[in-house]
Amino acid sequence: MKKYLAKRVFYMALTLFLVATITFFLMKLMPGTPYSNQEKMTPEQIQIMNQQYGLDKPVWMQYLMYLGGMLHGDMGTSFQFSNQPVSYLIATRIGASAQLGIQAMIFGVFFGIILGSIAAINRNTWVDTLVTVLSIIGKSVPNFVLAVLLQYYIALKLGILPIADWGGFSYTILPTIALGVGPLAETARFIRTGMVDVLNSDYIELARAKGLSKFQIVYHHALRNSLIPLITLIGPYTVSLMTGSMVIENIFSIPGIGEQFVKSITTNDYPTIMGVTMLFSAGLVAVILLTDIIYGIIDPRIRLAGNED
Amino acid sequence: MKLAKVAAAGSVAALCALMLGACGSKASDSASKQVLNWNESAELPTMDLSKATDVVSFDTLNNTMEGLYRLGKDSKIEPGIATKTKVSSDGLTYTFTLRKDDKWSNGDKVTAKDFVYSWRRTLDPKTNSQYAYLFEGIKNATDVMNGKKSTKEVGVKADGDYKLVVTLDKQIPYFKLLMGFPVFFPQNQKTVEKYGSKYGTASKYMCYDGPFNLTKWTGTNLSWSLKKSDNYWDKKSVKLDAINFKVNKSNSTAYNLYQSGKLDATSLSAEQAKQLKGQSGYTVRQAASAFYFQYNQTKPEFQNKKIRQAISMVIDRKEFVNKVLGNGSIPAKGLVSSGLATRNGKDFADASYVKDGVTVNIAKAKKLWAEGLKEIGKDSLTFGLLSDDTDIAKKTTEFIQSAIESNLKGAKVECANVPFKTRLNRTNQGQFGIVISAWGADFADPISFLDMFTSNNSYNAGKWKNAQYDNLIEASKSTDAGNAAKRWDDLVNAEKILIQEQGISPLYQQATAWMVKPKVKGVIYNSAGANYNFKNTYVSGN
Repeated sequence: MKKYLAKRVFYMALTLFLVATITFFLMKLMPGTPYSNQEKMTPEQIQIMNQQYGLDKPVWMQYLMYLGGMLHGDMGTSFQFSNQPVSYLIATRIGASAQLGIQAMIFGVFFGIILGSIAAINRNTWVDTLVTVLSIIGKSVPNFVLAVLLQYYIALKLGILPIADWGGFSYTILPTIALGVGPLAETARFIRTGMVDVLNSDYIELARAKGLSKFQIVYHHALRNSLIPLITLIGPYTVSLMTGSMVIENIFSIPGIGEQFVKSITTNDYPTIMGVTMLFSAGLVAVILLTDIIYGIIDPRIRLAGNED
Repeated sequence: MKLAKVAAAGSVAALCALMLGACGSKASDSASKQVLNWNESAELPTMDLSKATDVVSFDTLNNTMEGLYRLGKDSKIEPGIATKTKVSSDGLTYTFTLRKDDKWSNGDKVTAKDFVYSWRRTLDPKTNSQYAYLFEGIKNATDVMNGKKSTKEVGVKADGDYKLVVTLDKQIPYFKLLMGFPVFFPQNQKTVEKYGSKYGTASKYMCYDGPFNLTKWTGTNLSWSLKKSDNYWDKKSVKLDAINFKVNKSNSTAYNLYQSGKLDATSLSAEQAKQLKGQSGYTVRQAASAFYFQYNQTKPEFQNKKIRQAISMVIDRKEFVNKVLGNGSIPAKGLVSSGLATRNGKDFADASYVKDGVTVNIAKAKKLWAEGLKEIGKDSLTFGLLSDDTDIAKKTTEFIQSAIESNLKGAKVECANVPFKTRLNRTNQGQFGIVISAWGADFADPISFLDMFTSNNSYNAGKWKNAQYDNLIEASKSTDAGNAAKRWDDLVNAEKILIQEQGISPLYQQATAWMVKPKVKGVIYNSAGANYNFKNTYVSGN
């Protein structure tokens, strides 16, 4: 187990290093400067600014300087928010995105499992068809459409929840639903398919033959085995939701990281691009590792150490 | 079993969040207070006036800081820290007498040294100011900016605590206007040095000398407030107790909040503007921002004036702003925007209006096109149209492409919609046939626009050259700089030449439609420089 983990952590570090390197050089291929007033500055002024920020140095030297900074935990300062350290920008913005992402995931998975199970148990009935139709709608309606509708009808017309802003739990409900419906639909479809397979298997027949109640069969035997494929899905999904949904964050005026990432690219805010990319990548590789470990725990047939040990 | 645990944990987390939310809720403001709730469409990136580059920063600085002057309605110069200004007979020395009763929010007095310190700091290349170029014309400013001279050599000196002496290299006819722009405001040295790299990155790492103090801004959050200042010299004229700003980037969200009474003012999208036009509260804010064609005149086809005229004449600018934009933008009368500068009651844009240069005339365009093609010895012409990749820019290029191709025989337009920075890059490198460029004026003087198109100016990407134009612009800066009437005529005539020759073809003047509650009174909006001045704003009735 230890050896396996050490190997995996090494690969994680290697992956992150490659991501940092590739992103850095790709980013430097983008035309333009990070100065928002570039349009009005003369070429001489731009050159002086480049000298000040070290952007006049060869790209490989800038790369080494960047890596050096990263090793000391210094991600640089943002250009969009002048003087603001990127670490501060991320720290103050990631909380809202992460909370929203986790809530949306819990909401989606929880109700997805319930709906998926109901569909599987009642397979080939009108209930199954209804759940399937709902899942397809949930998956195909873009979340921003849902967000705008929820905001207009629930918040403005009925006035029962806040329209936008980020204050307490009540502010998170509408964005959570808007963001969570996608994962909900996906989960429901996964669980339904998985459970239909499981319910047809021999050990379920055995459980039935032993006289277990329907609830016990579904809850103890069928559900646990149907969850396995879902885990592969949940990990990366959670990371992508946690790192921010630009559209949902904009609609509900949530101070998240989603838009900063997109904006940092269009404005050539190099340190922020790198900071957010690395955060996203680190989250993703960590979740993949975690998923593999959880896999082993849930399904004893999958051995972490592999066959060679 | 496990699922039950997860569900329980989820409920606890939800409950905690609910309780935290309840702790954060605020008591409502008392009814008697003068409070304004204003929407912003972007974050406040910095309060360091040497580093600010965007409208939100400049607007916030304009309301929390005080410079030598404050710009009132129609960019009229109103008293600020300066009580008296003496200009030497050659126009090269300005002596400002400062008031003794304005204080910084930390209790220090505002003195001439604060101006000297602030200007030197902005010009110091180490500060990385992107607006330092506005100091050009002040003695040694350009050399200091380029690191060739020390900041001590800038032509600004404090003569005691309350006299500021500024020396210029050349006359700057709009010098007083510039003094109303935040980059020329004072800075409190003690505060800058105390906070070091944190200076201006949150409301607590700042010091203010204007009508309001900034609060509740953490540097990255989406809301902040301006509170009336007790230290401001003219606090009796300030009527608002507080202005609460909220960033809502989605126009539909902001309008929902406006309808529910949470916001008193918000900007609108083009779609919303089309629907709400004419309703109570609908307000159009014209910007001193022009969109225009630059023709790449290193290419033979665009050196031909008739070709340029023909292209400009097939565009129905009125139809374009109404059908495509619909946000209150107006057809350009010329390059210099309407409402920017007036003399003896006449708007510069009207004085320099060349009707033929910006009006649709398909028949004439066809004729000019045919003649032009003949002159360059071609029977068809394919050229690129470069623009941004925003929704509006894409709609713009589609409209223009269709106008040109359907009216000019043999014309083929290849649209390239690229990101802003790419567009700038290609423009500077001359990689375009026609490019749709935009320019916003920093101060309310026509030179802010016209300076760009002198032969060797780096902004003149199309490389249009006209000696007469160059001479007029030069005269406005030298021989006629001290004579307002002559200078005005020089600039009017220069613009007329630019449009008659179609050195560039103006398209439209940008505007933003707003909904502002009718109870909000006394908002001062200027199209150039810092837009909003809330010093005399108040709320009356509902």
